[in-house]
Amino acid sequence: MFGRSRVLMAAVLALTCCFVAGTGYASGNVDLTFTAWSYGVETVNDNIAKFEQMYPGIKVAFSDFSWFDYHDIMATRFFSKTPTDVCYSSDHWLQEWAAAGWIVPLEDYFPWVRESKAEFAKYAVEGMTYNGKLYGVPYYADLMIFIYNEEMLKKAGFNQPPKTWEELAEQAKAMKAKGICNYPIIFEFGQQEGAANEVLISMVYSRKDGHMFNGLEPVFNKPGSAAAKTLEWITEGMQKSKIIDPASLTMAEIELVKSMQSGQHAFTILPKYNLAELNNPASSKLAGKFKMALMPGDTHETVGYVRFYAMTKMAVDRGKDVVDAVGKFIQYFGGKTNGKYIVEKRWAVEKGLGFAQLPLYDDPDVVKAINSWGDVKLELEQAKLARAKEGLSPFYGTWDLFVRTELHKAYLGQQSPQQVLDTCAKKWNEMRKK
Amino acid sequence: MSPVGVSGRGTLASSTPMISGRREKPFLLVVPTLGIVLCFTVFPIGYALVLSLRRFLLTQPWDTSFVGLRNYWEVITSDYFRASIASTFKFAALAVVCVLIYGGLVGLLLDARLWTSRLLQVLILLPWAIPPAIAGIMWKWIFHADYGAVNGFLVGLGLLKDYFPWLSTPSTARTCLVIAHVWKEGSLAAVLVLAGLQTIPRELRDAIFCDGGGPWTYFRHVVIPFLKPTLLVIAIYETMIAILTFDLVYVMTGGGPGNATALVSWYAYIESFRFLNFGHGAALSFTIAAVILVMILVYLRVLKTEEVY
Repeated sequence: MFGRSRVLMAAVLALTCCFVAGTGYASGNVDLTFTAWSYGVETVNDNIAKFEQMYPGIKVAFSDFSWFDYHDIMATRFFSKTPTDVCYSSDHWLQEWAAAGWIVPLEDYFPWVRESKAEFAKYAVEGMTYNGKLYGVPYYADLMIFIYNEEMLKKAGFNQPPKTWEELAEQAKAMKAKGICNYPIIFEFGQQEGAANEVLISMVYSRKDGHMFNGLEPVFNKPGSAAAKTLEWITEGMQKSKIIDPASLTMAEIELVKSMQSGQHAFTILPKYNLAELNNPASSKLAGKFKMALMPGDTHETVGYVRFYAMTKMAVDRGKDVVDAVGKFIQYFGGKTNGKYIVEKRWAVEKGLGFAQLPLYDDPDVVKAINSWGDVKLELEQAKLARAKEGLSPFYGTWDLFVRTELHKAYLGQQSPQQVLDTCAKKWNEMRKK
Repeated sequence: MSPVGVSGRGTLASSTPMISGRREKPFLLVVPTLGIVLCFTVFPIGYALVLSLRRFLLTQPWDTSFVGLRNYWEVITSDYFRASIASTFKFAALAVVCVLIYGGLVGLLLDARLWTSRLLQVLILLPWAIPPAIAGIMWKWIFHADYGAVNGFLVGLGLLKDYFPWLSTPSTARTCLVIAHVWKEGSLAAVLVLAGLQTIPRELRDAIFCDGGGPWTYFRHVVIPFLKPTLLVIAIYETMIAILTFDLVYVMTGGGPGNATALVSWYAYIESFRFLNFGHGAALSFTIAAVILVMILVYLRVLKTEEVY
């Protein structure tokens, strides 16, 4: 009996010690959970280590998931309340996440965010804004750009990259006729590829009256619209003149970069940061041959998109200490530390990622890095012609998935471009009603 | 005499606690298992049934109202469902026939007891040991349009002029999926056929040959009747596996091009985890389960009428 009570007392004492130690830890330190998609994981971990050195009271638990599954994983995490304080998000998911109450407007919690807005590119601000409030600070922001293989172009007898879509078709046909390559053009239209529709939209934007929506009203399905012309151009290139590789329908970004590096294609459209990888001598024998040009078309406009850091409602529910820690985290990773964009600069210089923080264009290191694989002047020129995606709404992400499958029917010649666009508009209107 | 009598009222009454303990013990012993079954089988199915009768969009968590059978109606009447049923039917028909042929031929080859039989057994079982997702990735690269082994091989032999986008053309994408599926599933069929072949009495074969019959007579009048129940079991199992194929689609084609390889299981996944409509996803899953259940009942009825050797 005596022995049993001693054991009980010891257990109570041990539990009390644990509790005291626990509260002591909680009062002095904050644990943050940060989720991201898998890109540059080593760099992210290194950045986290530097952040933790700067703020010894904050510990960051980092998890990464494939980009292809990221949205679905995050939605289930939010719904099941799996601890997540700060995460990557994207312009095409923002409204869905914000409307569901999963993420919160940063400017309501951190005054510095509102002040930073002036330094961010316009399309990026638009892509991070919902109901007039800024929900994110850019992780990176980039443009969809037109890329060509200069050597192949010269071989085909052209000195200048194409300025219009008609010119591009002519150059591609000439290249095919001369046997330089079988399919001069390739796109990333794989159904798993999140940027598939961004490629198409950038082609629409570059045409005269290139619009997808007027507010939330679809205009892309109007007969003779820029979208209809674009879809007809792609279908013709894939089905008749056979200048576009049908393998485009299964291509995702990484595979496409490798295909370009294999020298089998001369033209493509990709998020701009891929130009750094294409011209990377460590991974390509054709390094230095890939150039960017303004998006062919009448206006040369393109899509500018943003991926950003967001704070979750779960973090807010955990209390002020956690919110303060998230604020420090986001400021370090996407804002200024001692007056400098440290992490953003690192991504730009080391990986070639684009950025929304415009003052970085004045940084000599950044300019030097960009010029080593691209052309900073041309990039700036294209950036000025970049527009955010139209029609961003809580159901945009879901509609985007539906559209990827439907567009294939036009590319394969199973349905006319107009039929496909009408189906997409019908779906949009159905989702809007719900 | 033992205090616990085997007869007599008084004796039984005096030992009631012990007897009741005996009665309870078996029930107590199954409680843990029952708990596990309830937690991991009955509850999820019950919850999924509830989900299928409610509006359950993950992105609109505030509205989970009861909608009756509307989710079922919406998925069954959708164009996508019709297309996926057609794709599934084409895929399953081709896959089951091919698995049966492959399994049958390989089973016969293994039963021939050649000097290579041992090595062949290992090689043929190997695909079975590879996880479907890994197999899918492997086949995706094999059929890759720009640097796949199939293209390299066929162009090298001069059978193809240029590289062909196997996974970007609806008919070839479906065929590639069937090839990968047969490669993965054929092993089991071959093993089952081999087991079936080994139950055939040797005397029957000798008798056929003594009576002047050849290999074809033996095959037609002995092997086929003996293997019929085995082949039927393989057909049932493979039909279910083909209908539920998901991993290969996920990895190799993502349902594309268009919706050429969007099988019904892929549709259920898309509705639940891409469109985040768990109401639709659950309704679709129950619909698929009902279809499979009907198929099993039909198959079992057919099996029952079969003569078993």
